[in-house]
Amino acid sequence: MNALGMYVARESGLHSLHPLTKVLLTLLFITAGLTLPGNWTGYFIVAFIVFPLAFWGRVVSNLFSATWKVSLPFAISVILIHGFFWGEGTPVFEVGILSPKWEGAIFAAISMGRIILVMSVFLLFSMTTRPDALMITLKQAGVPSSIAYIIVTTLQIAPSFQRKALTILDAQRSRGLETEGNLYIRAKALIPLILPLVLGSLMEVEERAIAIEARGFNSGKKETSLIEIPDTPLQKNIRRIVIFSIFGLIVLGVLWRL
Amino acid sequence: MAFVVLKNLTYLYPTSEKPVLRNLSFHIQEGEFVAVVGPNGAGKSTLCYALAGFVPHFFKGEISGEIEVNGRKSSESTLDEWVLNVGLAFQNPFNQISGAKYTVFEEIAFGLENIGVPREEMKKRVEDAMSLTGIGDLADRSPYSLSGGQQQRVALTSILVMRPRLLVLDEPTSQMDPIGAREVFGVVRKMAEEGMTVVMVEHKVEWIANFADRVIALKEGQILLEGSASEVLTSEALVENGFGVSRYTSAAREAKKKGLWKKERLPVTLDEAAEGFNLTRNA
Repeated sequence: MNALGMYVARESGLHSLHPLTKVLLTLLFITAGLTLPGNWTGYFIVAFIVFPLAFWGRVVSNLFSATWKVSLPFAISVILIHGFFWGEGTPVFEVGILSPKWEGAIFAAISMGRIILVMSVFLLFSMTTRPDALMITLKQAGVPSSIAYIIVTTLQIAPSFQRKALTILDAQRSRGLETEGNLYIRAKALIPLILPLVLGSLMEVEERAIAIEARGFNSGKKETSLIEIPDTPLQKNIRRIVIFSIFGLIVLGVLWRL
Repeated sequence: MAFVVLKNLTYLYPTSEKPVLRNLSFHIQEGEFVAVVGPNGAGKSTLCYALAGFVPHFFKGEISGEIEVNGRKSSESTLDEWVLNVGLAFQNPFNQISGAKYTVFEEIAFGLENIGVPREEMKKRVEDAMSLTGIGDLADRSPYSLSGGQQQRVALTSILVMRPRLLVLDEPTSQMDPIGAREVFGVVRKMAEEGMTVVMVEHKVEWIANFADRVIALKEGQILLEGSASEVLTSEALVENGFGVSRYTSAAREAKKKGLWKKERLPVTLDEAAEGFNLTRNA
């Protein structure tokens, strides 16, 4: 696990886009997927926009494997629920009380398209945007520093939490805690893991608050930034168009559904 | 007028029953390097938090008495103003990494960004601070990829770069190898010579004796002893009160009982010990 959560360091055009441009494009693709008519729009955007962008950003394989991992649990639950509990329809097969319906399966596939779209767009954004650049951009856009800090560091919580959990687990194991075996043994092993993990995390939060406060985080002075985030007039224009399009899509989406 | 003045400071954490600091008073002159020693629970870390403004501004709790730095009272100041003059680095380096930066260089610049230092000046100050603490070669590394000792150097550098008037360090070398720790003592000594006032909690008594101007021995929130390093660190009272003492002091104390230590004062450092035992040998 690296320090920056999901960020994949590469030299690419997509990486060098202004973070705000990418935030807005992310919102645009999601809005488009959810408002445009047609059942398969989600898949269409993923296939013809998101993955070509990932190719540009040189993160296709990373995006593919991450999207797959994140979407799989959703896919399983959506297919189970809609496949097996669809009311009336054409059965795919019938075994006892189990009788999945074609209509349910199709509905599940449509829903999955939307889930995959949202996941892949967020993942692509996280993989190609440096958290610190995002933080500076958010602050420049008027987001309060503390909110920007929380957004950016939250992206990194999962890896840090996982690292700490493994350390605690190793420590407990070295003192004889059984962590392998049947479900009951594994469940019992969770108790001595969770308490130190939660308490430790709370203490960590307190110390981190002290550390950043000691470095003038709330000094109230006008902040500066070490790195410059390149922006271009073209991107500024694109952002205006994107904002306009997002609102347009929302209005159209509402009208279509009336 | 002393640069740091503590007057009858008593402090109780919101969740504890007895005060951690009890009626504590001392003065520190500008540019002085004061080391604080004491067993666990003596109130060393709390004293650091008090000097750095976090007690009581961050931890709340009950406080009486006064903390004054450079003529300003902590009670009449806000934490955000206070931290501009007083820098704090503490023991666990991992929790001192901001988590919002990509490289060590950017991590060290974090504080300067917060206080609005212009970009070019910021770069210069970060470079200077990194070369001072000897971590120039880590500039492009991720702060998370470093060893504990390296992270401690980054934490120290991140505070030094802010150029505080008072530097408060709570066991800043606990994860360093002996050579690294010695270098850090040297850096802190140099900062003191340039006029920075330093309060440092440490267990490495030999290096305290080598570098610090004065030592305060703290026990149960009160000053047990205060004075020059060789006075305080060789005192019998430290042993009686469960403080860690230098192995050279212990050896010489044993030798003295057998008449093998001729000098008046016991040694703290290797050099002092060598000098004393040479006297015995040549006698």
